[in-house]
Order: sequence, then structure tokens, then C-alpha cells
Amino acid sequence: MLTLLLLWSPTIIIKSKREEFELENFKNTQKQCFESLFYYFALYFSFFFFSLMLLSRTKNNAQRYFGTNNVIYSKKDEQSAPTPEISKETESQESVKENTKKDLLGIIKSMKIELSTVNVQTTRPSSRRQLKSVEATIGRLQKAPEGVPKKRTKSLNPELVAAASAVADFLPFDKQTTKSELLRQLQQHEEVSKAQKDGERAKISVSTIISDMKVAKSATSRVSTRPVHQIQFDEGTDNYMGQKTDDLKKSLRKNMLKGKRLNIFDLKAVTEEAPETETAPSLWEVEFAKQLAAVNEQPLQNGFAEMIQWTKDGKLWEFPINNEAGFDDDGSEFHEHVFLDKHLKDFPKQGPIRHFMELVTCGLSKNPYLSVKQKIEHIEWFRNYFNEKQDILKESGIQFN
Amino acid sequence: MAAIATRRWLRFRCKLCLTLAGQRAGPCGQTPSCRFYSGSATVPKVEGANITGIEEVAIPKKKTWDKVAVLQALASTVNRDITAAPYAFQDDPYLIPTSSVESRSFLLAKKSGENAAKFIINSHPKYFQKDIAEPHIPCLMPEYFEPQIEDISEAALRERIKLKKVKASVDMFDQLLQAGTTVSLETSNSLLDLLCYYGDKEPSSDYHFQKSEKSEELEAAEENDEKSKKADHQFGVTWRAKNNAERIFALMPEKNSHSYCTMIRGMVKHRAPVQALNLYTELLNNRLRADVYTFNALIEATALSVNENMEDKWNNILELLKQMAAQKVKPNLQTFNTILKCLRRFHAFGRLPALQTFREMKAIGIEPSLATYHYIIQLFYHHENPSKGSSLIIYDIMNELTGQKFSPKDPDDDMFFQSAMRACSFLRDLELAYQVHGLLNTGDNWKFIGPDHRRNFYYSRFFSLLCLMEQIDVTLKWYKDLIPSVFFPHSQTLIDLLQALDVANRLEMIPQIWKDSKEYGHISRNDLKEEVLMLMARDQHPPELQVAFADCAADIKSTYESQDARQIAPEWPANCLNYIAVLFLRAGRTQEAWKMLGLFKKHNKIPGNELLNEFMDSAKASSSPAQAIEIVKLASAFSLPVCEGLTQRVMADFAISQEQKEALGNLTSLTSDSDSDSDSNEGK
Repeated sequence: MLTLLLLWSPTIIIKSKREEFELENFKNTQKQCFESLFYYFALYFSFFFFSLMLLSRTKNNAQRYFGTNNVIYSKKDEQSAPTPEISKETESQESVKENTKKDLLGIIKSMKIELSTVNVQTTRPSSRRQLKSVEATIGRLQKAPEGVPKKRTKSLNPELVAAASAVADFLPFDKQTTKSELLRQLQQHEEVSKAQKDGERAKISVSTIISDMKVAKSATSRVSTRPVHQIQFDEGTDNYMGQKTDDLKKSLRKNMLKGKRLNIFDLKAVTEEAPETETAPSLWEVEFAKQLAAVNEQPLQNGFAEMIQWTKDGKLWEFPINNEAGFDDDGSEFHEHVFLDKHLKDFPKQGPIRHFMELVTCGLSKNPYLSVKQKIEHIEWFRNYFNEKQDILKESGIQFN
Repeated sequence: MAAIATRRWLRFRCKLCLTLAGQRAGPCGQTPSCRFYSGSATVPKVEGANITGIEEVAIPKKKTWDKVAVLQALASTVNRDITAAPYAFQDDPYLIPTSSVESRSFLLAKKSGENAAKFIINSHPKYFQKDIAEPHIPCLMPEYFEPQIEDISEAALRERIKLKKVKASVDMFDQLLQAGTTVSLETSNSLLDLLCYYGDKEPSSDYHFQKSEKSEELEAAEENDEKSKKADHQFGVTWRAKNNAERIFALMPEKNSHSYCTMIRGMVKHRAPVQALNLYTELLNNRLRADVYTFNALIEATALSVNENMEDKWNNILELLKQMAAQKVKPNLQTFNTILKCLRRFHAFGRLPALQTFREMKAIGIEPSLATYHYIIQLFYHHENPSKGSSLIIYDIMNELTGQKFSPKDPDDDMFFQSAMRACSFLRDLELAYQVHGLLNTGDNWKFIGPDHRRNFYYSRFFSLLCLMEQIDVTLKWYKDLIPSVFFPHSQTLIDLLQALDVANRLEMIPQIWKDSKEYGHISRNDLKEEVLMLMARDQHPPELQVAFADCAADIKSTYESQDARQIAPEWPANCLNYIAVLFLRAGRTQEAWKMLGLFKKHNKIPGNELLNEFMDSAKASSSPAQAIEIVKLASAFSLPVCEGLTQRVMADFAISQEQKEALGNLTSLTSDSDSDSDSNEGK
């Protein structure tokens, strides 16, 4: 007997009760904590049964069928989703508790939702594209595990992780695997609830869930109270392996920075300062510098950037605009140009020479074409001149010095 | 620079304000102090301040401004305008490019105009002597490229070398030699530099745009290893035996390590790896030492050498590195980048060595540049088969890089973002793509996106990934944000967007997208047009939408017709005809739909069954048996199998006259005859 089970309604319930569930996780003792986890896992088993016409098909065919036509099913889901009923039904299933823990984990583990695969689905049932989308589906299935590990480690709340590891410690099984399995479950809760935040995604993710499911023959018609035994999901085993290889990859990844190196160069030898010989840059170096400068050359982004370019080319007055632009007198300041009185100390304090010299400094202070040095030299020249003409000055009765 | 300057300026302002406030407060007696806290620009503390009267006011020192600081601060306030073309394209509105082809020719035109002007000025400097600018602007004046020193001397030789006149310098060197003057070692070394760098050819004139074109071609050639040899012969300069560099090198009476090094580098640059390795042995025999650049070149030469397998090559590289360590030559970033670049050619074999190299460089404290990561990503993702499990190394790299700001350190630094985005789209990881994009928008990193074609590649990959994985609203937001102010979409990008719209059931956007794509110059892309029509015609929609779709269909139809006028082969795919006819029918534009049927005949295409059924529906709606019969006639003219069904429908649904009935009977018998004919033909 072939059966197809849809896992859809439980996700809603889980979303509504997740907060409560987290609280319990934190507050209760470890044992209680585990029980609550267990309880929510049980909720997973409220499934819809879709007995379908294609039941007699082989595994692969069935999968392909779903891969290309999942639109139909996702639409159906939307219409026929009586949420309250489901929750009742799930509550009635609480009696499931007597099942072994291991079984539960194993089964839940196999129900995996790949958010990363949401995208590729097109809702078009056109037969023209069927082949293509089959390929796409297959491609996706193969690609799926790569995208996942990243998300998995990332979005989980650290407190949840801690709680899960506490549970794992409590259990008698292999602690590491238990922990990782629990974490993965929690991760799925998160992903599912995220997916349902936006209707668009949820819709598609349902379709991907369906597409990822396979119909399998139950080996023997077991006498079982639960129909769960008849369910198998194709992801189950592969995925477990997939996760293992992912773990392997992760451990490899950590080695990207820490691992064997060439061990040729010595840190000390490289960092020690070598005596720099001052030589003019050769053509090679000049050209290399030009190449480097060209690397991040980009078209200008705005008018100011263009003005920067012009300034660098020397085509534009430099900012801030003042009357000293392009005026470079060995870094002397304007006051040295303008206030020249301090150079008149050696001259008499009054009299015609003083008067003359003040006129000279006044003229000099207004002259933009001479440098400060030249101006001082000019004053100096007059000092020497008057010194040479001391005798004439004395005759005319003018005091100098 | 600008940020620092601004912060400084702000602090200065604060100080001023505070001192002013303090002085004003003093006379009022409320705060008896004008104490001024230089470190923190907060309100002065009253308790601590009432000790002594007025303290000295520290006049801040004059700030010296960088000449572009103001402009940089201003530029940082300008954001990209998503409704406008990039600044570089802002010109006469008529000239603003609307497609990638146009934008390219726009830039080329602008640049070549500048180059032409420069060329004229430089080749006729005597006509451009008038200096009208005050102060003088050197870059507007002609540059002198002609040597000024006429006589034969070493100074003349040096001048020619400086002006990069390869042939003239060689001639001068020969004349000097003939005259019996010895040329100093330094000058002959710089002559060797010149000859080796340009491979004994005149350097191409220094007009950037052409230059970058050429290097792109080289790069493209490098991508495909097979073609690289041929391509190099075509585009690059190859090292010829007995060229001037070798001749002068042999003539030099004394040679130092620089002479050898520059020769080796020149040989490697111009693809003569074997000679380079031989010369290295000679250098060692002369008890000289190579510098780090020469080792870098030698590593490249080792990887280039032809008849050796990968393992031998790798061992040779390791051997060179050991020699470096033994000679106490410090490796630099280029050393490791060269190794990684060469390891790229080794494909899968290169991965482990690449990782080891990377760790080595980290261990000795050499900071990798973007190019380093680019090489690693290429090595791990370039030749990857998607079905195999792929490497996750990019996650490590991105974790390492997130938040960093870069400065150019390697000529290949601008390749990183392209290859990282390629890896993202390869892994189909949107989160990673966002991470890469975030890195691109950190600081000035956007400058590393590279030239136009690389930016286009990056953004179209990014956008395709968005279309594939992101919710439609977010995708549309990105669409508005990126197109066209950042890049012009490829037609495949638009098809991706259309498919995303389809998935999200937002088909009402399609006419808008078609309008946009028309603007971006995809008017003759058949695949795009077909996709648009297919999506519009696939399902029934509410009437208003059908009207909009029909308008869009009419628009697309006109593109096919205008092509006729331009005498391009009128390629009317049957699908498009079908879709357009259906769209007209659904919008109630029956007349035009019937005209479309005429086009089927004209172009000898076969209408689809659904289309004929829809025509039948519309005939029924307008209750015109004549039309119905017309349809049946058409179907029988193409001898379609659907003909019989249509006939029956006409019989059942329409009130038809006797004549028409007979006509119908003839038609069906005809088709069945032809059917049986063809059957019998096949039978034979």
C-alpha cells in the first residue's frame, strides 16, 4: 500500500505554541524539559492523508510527478486547511507518548524543510517547461545540503542551544548526536515559523515539502496503532549522511586559516627591518604604481567629486577660497607680510627717517609680489644706506642711532 | 580624509561655542568661570569651575586644510539618485544613454574626444603657447615629448630614456658606444629597464582608454588557457632572441644584480620563461642576488614553463621560495599573489597548496589583498561542476572580510567582487550575496567593482539571485534601486524578473516591465518578448488587466512590424502570433485578433488549438456563424486534427443555414481525405 502524507498542519500549531514551549524549556528541570520537547515532537504526527491516484507508481516517478506539479497540491492545501480541527486532532494524539524517544527523533529528523529551495518553483504548469523544471528539481535536491549548514548554525538562539545541550546531557545516548539532533529540530521550528510569517513563502514551502517527499512501500503490513510507521521520507537517510559530510566540511573549513602551512619563511626574518637603500624608483615601480592607481578608478559619482578631480589637476581654485590661493611663500603667514613695524626697532623712534621708514613699510606691506625675506632685505638695505650716510645725516642734524 | 577633517572642524566649532558661552556667562555671575574643557565638548561643570576667576582662554591653533577637504566633506553628503542616470552620463538629455551599449559608446566618445584634443595639443605644441590662466595651470599646456638635447652625450641618452623613446635611446646608446664613450652603469640599467618593460617596442601612447581595452583582451585570453598562447602573440609583445635588450646587456662591461633582475623580469613579462630561468642560473653563478620582484617573476616563469606536470611545477615554486628564504629575501604580497595566480591553472590540484600558501602568508604577517581572495575563490569555484559537492571556503572568506575597508594593493584587486558574486550565484546563497554586497558598500570598497563590464556582471548576477530567492516585493525594491541608475539589465535579467513575478503571481506588473525593457534596448530580443507574451496569455485575467495586456501585446506586435520596415528578416514565431491573438480576443479587440489570423496565413505559421477554440468562443459570444465557419475553414486549410471537433461544435452551437452546413461537410471530408492520404502515404 502506498500512502502519501502531508506534513503541513503541524507547523501552524508549533508556531502558536512555540513561545510557551521555549519558556518551559528554560524554567523546568531537565527532565521536564525533555518531556516538553517530546510533547511537541508528538504534535508532528497529525498528518493529512492524501490517497492519490498515482499510488502504484514507482518511487522515482512519483517524486518527479510532485516535482513538476506541486502547484496543484499547494493550492489544495490552501483551501483545505481547517486549522482548529487539526489542533483538536493533534491533542487527541497526545497518547502517542509511549513511543520510544529514538523513533520519534528519527522520524522527525527525516522531515526536513528546505527554505533554500523555495525559489526555483514556478507555478506554471505549462508542459513546455516540464523537462526543465524536473532538471531544476533534481538539481535542487542535490544542491540543497550546501546552503543549509550556514543557516543552521546561525539563527538559533544561544539559550535554546544551551537548553538542548542540557537535554542531551541528560539522555543516555551518544550526547553529541542527541544534541545536534535536538538543535536541528529547533532550527526547523524556527525556519518553519519564519516561513509562515509571510504567506507567500509558506505557500511555496509547502509545495517544496511535497516535492521533497517520496512515497515508499511499507515493507510489511505491520500491526501498528500508529500509521507513522508507514511513512518514510526520502530525505531521511541521505540527509543524515549529508549532515555528516557537512560536519566534515565544517571541520575542514575551520582549517582554512589554521592548518599546515608551507613553513618556508620565518616570521622573524620577514618582519625584521632591512636597511632601506634609497634609490630612485625604477620604471617597473613607477608603472606598477600607475596600475595600482588605476585599480580603483571609477567614473565620478557627483559634481563635488569632479571638482576634487579638477582641484587635483590644478584647474580649480583651491578650497577654502581666500586671497592666498596659489601663494606660497615658504609657509610664512600673512601677518609677517603685513606687520613689518617690528623690523624698524633699530631706526630712530621719531624724526624724518622714522617717517620715511614707516612709509616704506607701509608700501611693502601692501606689496603682494615680494616674499617676506625680500621685504626684510629691503628694510635692511635702508638701514645700511643710512649707516653709510651717517656723516651727511649728522651735518643736517638728524639723529640716527 | 574628509571624515577626519570634518570631525576636527566640528570639534573646533564646539570649542568656539563653548568659549563664547563661557564669556557671556561670566559677567552675569551665574557661572563665575569661563573654564574651557577641551577634551569633551559637554556643558561645563559648574561645581568644578568656581575656584578661580577667569582662566586663560586657549586659542586653538590654526588648522591647515587639505585642499580638497571641503569638497570631500561635501561629496560625502551626496547620495546616489536612483531616478537619474549616473553622474558620468549627465549631459544633454538627448545623449543620456538608456542601454549598456549606448552607455559604453557614450564613455568611449567622451574619452576619445579628450584624447583627440590632447593628441592635437601635444603634437603641435607651438600653436598652443598662449597661457591665459592666472595662476598658471600646467595640465592645460602642451607636454613636450620631443627630446631637447641634440648632441650625442649621456645626458641626451638619459633624456630619451625619460621620454620613453625606445628606438631613439637605443640609437643614442649605439652612437655613444661608437664614439668610444662609456655609458655609466646607472644609465645603462635604466635603458635596460625601458627596453625590458616595453619588450623592445615603442610604448603605446599613454591614452588610458585604449590601454585598458587592450589589457582586458589580454585578460580574457588568459581566462581560457588554451587560447592564451595564440592570443599573446597577437596582442602582447613577445620576447625575441637577440633583441636590443639582450644585445645591450651583452655589451655592458659591468653588470650588477639590477641588470640581471630587470632582464629576468622583462623576459617573464614578455613570455620567455625558459630564458628567464637560464639567466637566473647565470645570476647565481656570478654570485649576485635577485630581489623580491625578480623572484616573483621567476615564480611566474616556473608556472609558465610548458612541458612539466603540475607537481613538478609546484615543487619548483617551493624550491624558489626556499632559495628566497635562504638568501634572506623578504617575500611581499605580490609573491604570494603570484603563487596563487599560478596555482589557478592547476585546478583541483592547486587547492591544497593554495590553502597552505594562504596560511603561510597569514603566518608571516602579510595582509592578503582582495586579489588574494579572488584567486582562491576562482581556484575553488571556477571549474566546479554544480552536481559535485562544492567548497564552502567562501563563507570563511566572507567572515574574514566583512567590515573591512580596502586600499588597492594588487592590480587584480578589482576582480574580487565579481568572482565572489559568481560563487554566490553558484551556491544559490542569497544571504551570502547580501554579505558580499554589504562588503561592497563598506567605506570606499565600491571602487573595487572594476570597469563597466565587471560591474554589469556583478549586478546582473546579484539581481538574478534576488529574483530567484527573494520575495517579490523586496526584489522589486532592488529593481527600482539598481536599474537603471547602477546598471542596465541584460535581457536574461529581465526574463528572470518576469519569472519571479510569475512565481509571486504579480503578472499585472508585466506591461511595466515590458516598457522598461523597451527603454533598455531589448526591443529585438525574441526570447524576452516571447516570455512576456506567454506570461500574459497563459491564464484568464480580470477585464481591466486584459485590456492592459492587450495594449502591451499591440506594442510588441508593432515591434515586429517596425522590424519589417527596417528590412530585418521578419521572424514571427508561431507562439507569439498565438499569444497576441489570444490577448486581443480576451480584451475584446476581435477585429485585431482576426487580423492576426491573417498573419498566420501570411507567415505560414500554424495557429494553436486553444487559440482556435477561443476564436470559436468569441464567435459564439457574438453569435456569428460566419466567423465560426471561417475558423473551421482556416483549420482545414492547415489540415489540423482539431478541425473535426470544431465542426461538431459549430453544428451544435450555432444556428447555421443549409448552405453553410454543406460547406462544413465539404471541409471535414476534405480534411479526413487528406488525413487518410497522408496515412496511406506513410503506409507506403
